[in-house]
Amino acid sequence: MKYPVLFIAALLIMAALIAGCTQPAASQQTTSQGVIKVGVIASLTGPASNVGTSMWQSAQVAADKINADGGVTLKDGTKAKLQLIVGDDESTQQGGQKAATKLITDDKVDILVGGYSSAVTSSYEQTIAEYKIPYIVTGASSPIITHRTDIDTSYIFHNCPTTDTYGQYTTSFIDQVVRPAINKKFNFSADRPLRLALIYQDTAFGKGVQSAVNNTITANKLNIQLVSQQSFKMGESDFRTPLTAIKAANPDVVYLAAFPNEGAPLITQARKDIGLNSIFLNVENNDNAQFYKDLGQYGEGAIIESRFSPYIAPVGAVATAQSSFKNAYFARFGTYPDMMGASTSDGVFIAAQAIGNAGTTDKTAVRQALVSLKMPQVIEPMKDQTIAFSPDYRESGFDLWMEQLAFNQTLGETRPSIVWPDNLKTTDFVLPSWYTAGSA
Amino acid sequence: MMDNLAVFLQIIFWGLYAGCIYILLATGLNLIFGVMKIVNFAHGEFLMIGAYITATVFLLTGINPYLIILLSMLALIAIGAVVERLCFRPILGTGKLNEIFLSIGLIYIFQNGAAMIWGDAWQSVKSPYDGISIPVGPLNVPLDYIIIIGFTAVILIVLWLFLKRTRIGMEMRATSQNRKGAMLVGINVERIDIISFGLGCALAAAAGTLWVVSGQVFNPYMGSIPAVKAFAIIILGGLGSIPGAIIGGLLMGIAENGAAYLFGGIWKDAVSFIILIVVLVVRPTGLFGEKGD
Repeated sequence: MKYPVLFIAALLIMAALIAGCTQPAASQQTTSQGVIKVGVIASLTGPASNVGTSMWQSAQVAADKINADGGVTLKDGTKAKLQLIVGDDESTQQGGQKAATKLITDDKVDILVGGYSSAVTSSYEQTIAEYKIPYIVTGASSPIITHRTDIDTSYIFHNCPTTDTYGQYTTSFIDQVVRPAINKKFNFSADRPLRLALIYQDTAFGKGVQSAVNNTITANKLNIQLVSQQSFKMGESDFRTPLTAIKAANPDVVYLAAFPNEGAPLITQARKDIGLNSIFLNVENNDNAQFYKDLGQYGEGAIIESRFSPYIAPVGAVATAQSSFKNAYFARFGTYPDMMGASTSDGVFIAAQAIGNAGTTDKTAVRQALVSLKMPQVIEPMKDQTIAFSPDYRESGFDLWMEQLAFNQTLGETRPSIVWPDNLKTTDFVLPSWYTAGSA
Repeated sequence: MMDNLAVFLQIIFWGLYAGCIYILLATGLNLIFGVMKIVNFAHGEFLMIGAYITATVFLLTGINPYLIILLSMLALIAIGAVVERLCFRPILGTGKLNEIFLSIGLIYIFQNGAAMIWGDAWQSVKSPYDGISIPVGPLNVPLDYIIIIGFTAVILIVLWLFLKRTRIGMEMRATSQNRKGAMLVGINVERIDIISFGLGCALAAAAGTLWVVSGQVFNPYMGSIPAVKAFAIIILGGLGSIPGAIIGGLLMGIAENGAAYLFGGIWKDAVSFIILIVVLVVRPTGLFGEKGD
């Protein structure tokens, strides 16, 4: 019996160490004058490292551009360059707390940008509140980031659509586009409810999407029936059991609230192992080159709600800016940035603009500059082509779109086309030939 | 009713598949513990290295990944022998804490080494049998999973024959039962240690290969959680007991998938440890353990 006891003790130590293990946050210390220190919190290791790497590299491309254009002009007329310092949140709450604390107390950054997982980001908001440092969140999409009332979130600005926004948007797309297409193809009556299955990461992000979908259906009395709601833990790689449950519920479409490293195997397992020949709708964070690569042929017909894609750009004002950004990124890193990268790049531009408007790095002045900010959109298409934060929860407004993926035999991967809304679409949404509708 | 039966059988089947990975990992761990009585938390990293070797050779040569399992196992026998000789042998018998912290150090070394060589992004490869399914009763099962279950069974049978029918296998069992006694009858226990450690690592490599061919994603940090579960399985099955590791692995795989289906995905990992606690309370030596282990 002594070994089992020892083993259990060791297991607990091990679990604690795994949970708390860190790699030192890569950082660049400086004591030089004339620099603005921008802390970038990104997941460089752990389950979200693919997206986190794109966020960090995109921030570097943005800072390079700002510095090449002369930097930020301060009140006294001097020009200051941006110096980025990265904090690796390790895709964990403990890692996030350590990264934020280190950036604020050791590196003494002037402003923070980044944050991907909502669960991770919310875990260090207390530190942000305590030190009152402006933080432009560019990835964590749960509304709790700025809506929570248990701490002071007044220094936190949300520059990404919330799960409420894109959950509602995607549900509307299902109702207005997918449901009529299914009814038409299979000669169903127009009042047949669409059978929707939801599979979500069991975190603030996933639950936020779940809540948004449920609320949108109820509030708008949509003719959509939620036939299955399955959850999985963050970082999961085996989805066969929840997908078996979903298949048993006979859905018409499946909406995923997952990270790219989860979404790609999830769809692959659904199509390949479970035989679920359905339409899979994905959250915007999956607009990521690795996601397309991992999906391969199984991405055919899938939908991604987006505002930036590595492979397409909407016609209009942001097309040139997106192209320049992608080219600069590719020239430096040999790959394409993802949607979260674009968001973080915009976050760095916002930080520079706010500090420029304030004319100082004083935290209170910068916060005030962010409150009153009105700047032209940079890479991502914004409401009224302007970046501004709402007075209530300090959230910016985006123009979103829906993409559908089509398999490219030559590339061996799918590529997206915009199918909604009408003013941006380049092709119509189609149901693939292999698609099978659900049944009651 | 038929639909419910099909879903039930499908969940059991996914549990069997998950159980195969756990069985190979836990059996290797048990083999090492049985002979050397050492705690190696870096065992999951051998699974990870096996996965990367399989994926790398497959992508470079296009050889059927199921055949690469032999290469992967041989490579890990060699790596395991080096790790045993350089790391564990010097601290053998100096206390469990040394073993625990040494193995934690190895976790970092292997993870960072793999990240340097292969990068830390999630990867996956496609089996040559991708998309092929065969009917099994009311189920339509992808061929890969049938092969994976078959491979696991063959590996376990070969291991059983090796332990029962070969001289080295008998020496390993003797060392496992009584190390001093084995030394007294002339068995070179240091040689047995190195063989056991290598074999244990090879079984982890086999688990890594089967992980890859099943289409699951992998990265340098993938091994930690399976290793913790493998420890739970060998405690559950009984320390040093190979049948215990097999039954424990199957039980764990099926329980995890059953819990995920019935209670949601967040219970998938928790249920393993709930079962462990219950078994230890009822039968402190584990399912197949004996007093004094």
